[in-house]
Amino acid sequence: MTVLQRSSRVALWNPRKLFSPRTIVLIVVLAAWFVVGPSLLGAYWTRILTVSTVFAIAAAGIALLYGRLGLVSLGQVSLIGVGGWITLRVGHLGLPFELALVVAAVGTGIIGVLVGLPALRLSGLNLAIVTLMLAGAFEVVFTVTGFPNGGDGFLGRAQGGVLQQPLARPVLGTSDPEYFRYVLVVAVLMFLVIGLHLSNRPGRAWAAIRQSEAGALAAGIGTVRYRLWALAVVSATTGVAGGLLAGNAGLLDPISFKASASILLFATVLIGGAFSLLGAAIAGFLSQGLPPLLDAWGVPGNLIFVLLGLGMIQAITTAPQGIAGQLKGLVLRIGRAITSRRTR
Amino acid sequence: MILPFIVAGLVLGSLYALSGVGMLVLYRTTGVLNFGYGALGAIAAMLAWQFVELRMQPVLAYALGILVATALSLLFGFLAGPFLATVTTLTKATATLGLALILLGVMLFAWNDKARTLRLATDTMGFTIGTRITVTQIICLVLATVIVVGTSIYLRRSSTGTAMRALASDRELAAMLGIRVRRVELIAWTVSGTLAGFSGILLSSQTRLEPVFLTFIVIPVLAAVVVGRFRSLVGTLAGGLVIGVVQAIASAFPATSPFSNATPFLVATIVILYLQRRKVVTIEVAR
Repeated sequence: MTVLQRSSRVALWNPRKLFSPRTIVLIVVLAAWFVVGPSLLGAYWTRILTVSTVFAIAAAGIALLYGRLGLVSLGQVSLIGVGGWITLRVGHLGLPFELALVVAAVGTGIIGVLVGLPALRLSGLNLAIVTLMLAGAFEVVFTVTGFPNGGDGFLGRAQGGVLQQPLARPVLGTSDPEYFRYVLVVAVLMFLVIGLHLSNRPGRAWAAIRQSEAGALAAGIGTVRYRLWALAVVSATTGVAGGLLAGNAGLLDPISFKASASILLFATVLIGGAFSLLGAAIAGFLSQGLPPLLDAWGVPGNLIFVLLGLGMIQAITTAPQGIAGQLKGLVLRIGRAITSRRTR
Repeated sequence: MILPFIVAGLVLGSLYALSGVGMLVLYRTTGVLNFGYGALGAIAAMLAWQFVELRMQPVLAYALGILVATALSLLFGFLAGPFLATVTTLTKATATLGLALILLGVMLFAWNDKARTLRLATDTMGFTIGTRITVTQIICLVLATVIVVGTSIYLRRSSTGTAMRALASDRELAAMLGIRVRRVELIAWTVSGTLAGFSGILLSSQTRLEPVFLTFIVIPVLAAVVVGRFRSLVGTLAGGLVIGVVQAIASAFPATSPFSNATPFLVATIVILYLQRRKVVTIEVAR
């Protein structure tokens, strides 16, 4: 413990940090996006970017697991489904949407930990396979149970088109632009939760576990505890993403939660960049925004698979930092060019 | 009553095993767990269907399909092999996810994801013992058994097989002993691709001929490989058969039939967790 506390990477709380140029730029960009985003995008793209933002939250979870802990989880879309299911189920009881989101976060967190508990000892290929198998199992379960649509019973299924009713949107986000802003705010909150974890003690513990589990144990890090905590945080945020997805349309379809969707989302995270939250945001757009964008450009939508496949191989072989890493490199290089000219 | 289900289960299971052997040969030689394996089979099946539609001789069409799958597998092995040899098993597997996506995209671009049927000539031939058994089903069962036994003997007896096993245990050391590492690896990619083509065509005739379905059939196939502990060919055969039969029997009863498709995942998860029960800490440095 003392070793860790003395290390130079301890993030001492410093109010000056809040006003670093980077943070200010980020806040300004997000605020501008919040205000003019919907009118800039138009109705169609507002809807698409709402879903992209939702998936960015899930992508951030995958990125945390992969980038920080070195764990490949190929079942995250199933967790989105779990969060969506809980939100719909609780929402139809008459709870306000925000409360349903909290319940979804807690519920998905618990389920994620329970499912992950036996898988804790696994790492590497075994964990990837187990999560893929679980995604397959969840796919079957979702197909059988369906998603609640206002019916009776535990499953909350109403048969027949007339009896089905979508979940009402939150009061603060009834129209599409409002819901876009609503999702943006929640997504920023979730990114903050993940970012705070990464920059503080848990993040360092996770990094140590990734480097060497034995080393982490020797440094006095409770590996089991921290891995469980990572699973809980990732599952909870992913559950919130599921809740937001459920709130968007009010209904969910089992067809969106196949094991293949998880693989695609993982591919986009690798391409976007697994080592930063910017990468997660890019991944969210790649997974949900790129297909309609290709469509708009007249490229057949199915070629998205080819693009993602090529991008994934490229990311693995030559650009492990993903698009986000390359953008950062570009910004650094430009910054260096400007400063060097100034000194001359 | 239950007999037709058992027969269907055995056939499906033997196809899982047949696919699993192809994955295993590659994994044991190069350390690459090929997630694109299902996509290779799917492309063989789709091409075979297309050629038959174009009035080609069926046997020729199947052979062409298998040939293309083999060539694609070899090509990927040729291009990506040197890189894949330098990274961890997990990264190797992730890279093949990329291969799967590319092939899937190409297939969806060329053919849409509508249900088609590939009718093999042997589907109509058959005989009845309690239930009707077609010649295709016999082929599946016999082929799986023959391939498993044959590959086991080949790996143990032939010089190439010995080289493959040497490669699996230590690539650098094998190279130092004068084994032509690249050549042996490419042989493994070729064999794996051919098996993928065979099993893809048979699977499409026994299940569904859809690119997406066939691509992601790699997940239940993986379950059979897991039961074989990533090592044993016989274990993979047994795992495939058990999974197939349990799945088929589960689908026979109304109470369990909606969940029957989850059988492979359940079996694989339990096996992995059981195999890992003692390993608490792995001592390795991240690369």
